[in-house]
Amino acid sequence: MTTDPFDPLLIAIAAPLAVALAIGLGLPKRWSVRLAYLGFATPFLMALHVWWHYSAVPKVHGYAFLTEHATGLSGVGITLELGVNGIAMPLFVLAGLVGFAAGLCAIRSGAERLKVYLMLLLVMLSGLMGTFASVNLFFFYFFHELALIPTFIMVGVWGGRDRVYAAMKMTIYLTAGAMLSLLGLIAIYVKSGARRFDMIALRDILAAHPLASGSQAHIFGLLLFGFGILVALWPMHTWAPLGYGAAPTSTAMLHAGVLKKFGLYGLIQIALPLLPAGALPWGHLLAGLAVFGNIVVVGLITLAQRDVKQMIGYSSVMHMGYAFLGIACGTALGVGGVVLLMVAHGLSVALLFLLSTNIWQRTRTLDMDEMGGLARQAPILAAFFTAATFASIGLPGFANFWGEFTIFVAAWKFSHCLTVFAVLGIVLSAVYGLRAAARIFFGEPSVAFARAAGDQPPTDLSWTERLPALILLGALLFVGFWPQSISQSIQGVLQTGIYRTH
Amino acid sequence: MSPVSLALLVLLLPLAAAGFIACFLRRRGGAASFLSIAVAAVIAVGAFALALGGNRFEAATEWLRLGDFAFSLGFKFDDLAALMLVIVGIVGLCVHVFSAGYMHDDASRGRYFAGLSIFMFSMIGIVLADNLFMMFIFWELVGFSSWLLINHWFGKPAAAAASKKAFITNRVGDFGFLLGIVMCYWLRGTVNLSELGAQGAAGHALFSRAIPLLLFCGAVGKSAQIPLHVWLPDAMEGPTPVSALIHAATMVAAGIYMLCRIEVLMVPDALTVILWVGAATALYAALCAFTQRDIKKVLAYSTISQLGYMVAAFGLGSVRGIDERGEVVVVAAGVGAAMFHLTTHAFFKALLFLGSGSVIHGCHGEQDVFRMGGLASRMKFTFATFTIGVGAIIGLPLLAGFYSKDAILALAYANNRGAFAVLALTAVLTGIYMLRLWLVTFFGAPRSEAAGAAHEGGFALGAPLAVLAVLAAVGGYFGLHPGAFSGAFAGVFSLVHEAAGAAATVILATSIGILLAAAGIAFAVYRPAKVSAAGDAVEASAPGLFAALVALKESFDRVYDYYIRKIQQRLAMLLNFIDIIGLAGLLIRGGAGLVGMVGLGARALHVGKLSSYVYWFLAGVVVLWLFASGVL
Repeated sequence: MTTDPFDPLLIAIAAPLAVALAIGLGLPKRWSVRLAYLGFATPFLMALHVWWHYSAVPKVHGYAFLTEHATGLSGVGITLELGVNGIAMPLFVLAGLVGFAAGLCAIRSGAERLKVYLMLLLVMLSGLMGTFASVNLFFFYFFHELALIPTFIMVGVWGGRDRVYAAMKMTIYLTAGAMLSLLGLIAIYVKSGARRFDMIALRDILAAHPLASGSQAHIFGLLLFGFGILVALWPMHTWAPLGYGAAPTSTAMLHAGVLKKFGLYGLIQIALPLLPAGALPWGHLLAGLAVFGNIVVVGLITLAQRDVKQMIGYSSVMHMGYAFLGIACGTALGVGGVVLLMVAHGLSVALLFLLSTNIWQRTRTLDMDEMGGLARQAPILAAFFTAATFASIGLPGFANFWGEFTIFVAAWKFSHCLTVFAVLGIVLSAVYGLRAAARIFFGEPSVAFARAAGDQPPTDLSWTERLPALILLGALLFVGFWPQSISQSIQGVLQTGIYRTH
Repeated sequence: MSPVSLALLVLLLPLAAAGFIACFLRRRGGAASFLSIAVAAVIAVGAFALALGGNRFEAATEWLRLGDFAFSLGFKFDDLAALMLVIVGIVGLCVHVFSAGYMHDDASRGRYFAGLSIFMFSMIGIVLADNLFMMFIFWELVGFSSWLLINHWFGKPAAAAASKKAFITNRVGDFGFLLGIVMCYWLRGTVNLSELGAQGAAGHALFSRAIPLLLFCGAVGKSAQIPLHVWLPDAMEGPTPVSALIHAATMVAAGIYMLCRIEVLMVPDALTVILWVGAATALYAALCAFTQRDIKKVLAYSTISQLGYMVAAFGLGSVRGIDERGEVVVVAAGVGAAMFHLTTHAFFKALLFLGSGSVIHGCHGEQDVFRMGGLASRMKFTFATFTIGVGAIIGLPLLAGFYSKDAILALAYANNRGAFAVLALTAVLTGIYMLRLWLVTFFGAPRSEAAGAAHEGGFALGAPLAVLAVLAAVGGYFGLHPGAFSGAFAGVFSLVHEAAGAAATVILATSIGILLAAAGIAFAVYRPAKVSAAGDAVEASAPGLFAALVALKESFDRVYDYYIRKIQQRLAMLLNFIDIIGLAGLLIRGGAGLVGMVGLGARALHVGKLSSYVYWFLAGVVVLWLFASGVL
């Protein structure tokens, strides 16, 4: 345990929460907005700090910045233990980056009851930072719920079309998923006999006394489907496009980009290492659902979308198929690829949701058939959207490529046939991605759009609109060109041998 | 400067230039074009320095490691890479200079030159790559730069559609390419080209065939072979210099270069497939060229046909022959002949495309050759250089194409008479349609106002034509004298198969016969007096034949269009419907299985009130706490 009074993880969690509290206590709107900048920027700076110093700081049990804070519940093994290992670190940084971009977008969104909206978003951000900084399973779950509940409220209150239905559906699905995974976590806690919730202790105990493979398989199943719903595993994915279509921009960015990764993170950080024998019997079912369901079927469904946000939502569900495939492989390479993909997908989907709102502000429609030729009036927006599209379809040079590529390599060892169908995804995603870019930005404008644009010509992105997009795009390119920037920490965990090599 | 750092400079400089232009010079077209051309000049000089400096090296660095999997970036600079790098350097510089004149009045010059620089970066990456993973990265990046440049005039719906089609069609090829690479990695244990070379072709019977054929899929996409050739004619929507550089001389030839790189993985069965795909493409595209009125599209089909020639040449490589003493010998000449033709083709096809650019520029954007005519007197310099290009492609003796085509025909004659017949027929057709293009464009009376007022472009348009015309004239020298340039490219050109004895006579006779037949037919059918602005002479005199050729040309697009609209899109709509109605409505909400039950339970607990979830969650925490602390 470090005794350094400067604890970046705790600050990243506490700062947005404190700002939210201050706003909630009745700070005037002008000050609320200014303070909100601080609330969103602090986790971002802390995330950069953690990333920069990660390789140099000492690790305890593989965790850097490990601290423990009493909660009064230590009798049952619940203490606030914060720390990041090589897999948590990239996601913690992702949360900081996307949180800052989403925050900038929200502050400028001009939403009604802006103070409450910002407050909820800050609570959500606090939960996100906490989720990936928690070593204790109890807080891992607690912070997830802390982020999830504001999501429902924001969708239901500030959402767009069908917001009440969407919020209800999201709530039902995500609650069900969270409940199932909670059952799984409790089962691990009880069966291990550890009487402690912290992952390090659980890992040591279960390594020394593994559970019977039957109960491992049962618990893994609970976690798999619980987390699976949260990550939109086919056929439990229908909440996602609907929810994201209705959600306000910043909420969609934070949920699709970061919060959704909770399920994958749980499978990688908890289920696979703690229940190594439990993963095997589920592998083929999971991979089959991921490849045929998420990648092929949802990939085809994405082709049929006319609404920009629905299209992004479905494409995001499709990309989760790659992640599930990597987890089904269960090997070090597969898991490493999933972590890379999680970061990359988080950045790119957040960027796409952000830009789709920028498009909507100019076209007043999300129907791609009613647009066209927008690149003439808004070339910078077109360049950003095109870059984000190429990122999400896995063009080398963007972070997503490394994730998809390594997962494909890993998948061949798992199943030749499934790999063939999974690689088919690179064609499907190119079709819908480029088709969307062409329908929105290139060619001739539609009659309706030309008439509307004639009255009030759309303007290009302003600098304040560009800033959040630049942060996300810059990160995508940075990791795309220099994957070691995050893969070295991941490799540090993979090297410890907690995942299979073959 | 060490060779490795020079190679690194040549690779990274265009990337830096593209980044700089994208960030700072978007609206300063002049500065952007200057920067981009300067970089292209450095690349050309660097390419020559590397190739002629005599250093052949390999260097690699690890770029990503996950578990036991390592991904490295590295250079493999041998004679093959040296040759390709020099081609890219020369043609690249010519096209950059030409673009400065051709695109002078374009409002988006910055984007255009940034795209050219990105392309140079990607293409040089393919050339220098020392392993298949790295090659795949740059393979995708050239696809992206191709998309960017075809889409340059994005306001035109045709350009937007063509760029999309090019990228997606290439992705279909890359689907196989990527699978082949992954398969190669696991079954051979490495994707490093030199290590693969040391292993030789061997192993599992099925996979040893599957790997080269899947890798070949990449070449089918990139080099526009049947059935993925459909994107290249459409890609002519891009600016003409782009067509010269990317869609004629370098990028589309990358498929052949890649095949030569993985030659060690080839097995006879795979080569036979490659041979016939190439031969079929060569013949098919030559037939299609007859239906075209657009000067660039004729050249595009000609490019496809010539690429088919190269692919066929590669496929001929390992076909075993029997020498005079009755012993079986392996004629490993495919790489030599393919690369020889790639080299000469890069020069004369870039020349032809830039020449067509000069014509289009002179005629103020007119691309229909039947609305040109009589340009020989108005654009004398363009006419002279274009004529050299036409002479080279139809195989006029002493010009470059004559030697490289003969090398392929000689190889075919030695190894596979069927392929020889197809390729010889293709050569006749090539002669006819190229002379048709030449006669209709440059002779007779002007058939439109624009053609009547045609004029030469400036120095920027003329100088590249002159350089390329010289190369198209003397380029055959490399193949005949492998030791030229102190043997810098001997590793490639010493492999060129030369016919000897009776075979040499047969080849020479065939070659002359092809030329005479083509010239005779072309002059008979397309002599200037018979050409009118209304249309093609064949269309008028033999409408049935012409319609059949048009139907042949359109058949692939028709089939793909039917598949996309009637099958793929309908399937997508159906699945979408099922997704919304079926899964969302019935299966999941119906509550089948555990998930549904929990979902129903959850729903029962909060009918319409989101906030109740909070209480419910808190209750759960209390229960958990009680349970954990042993109260329950």
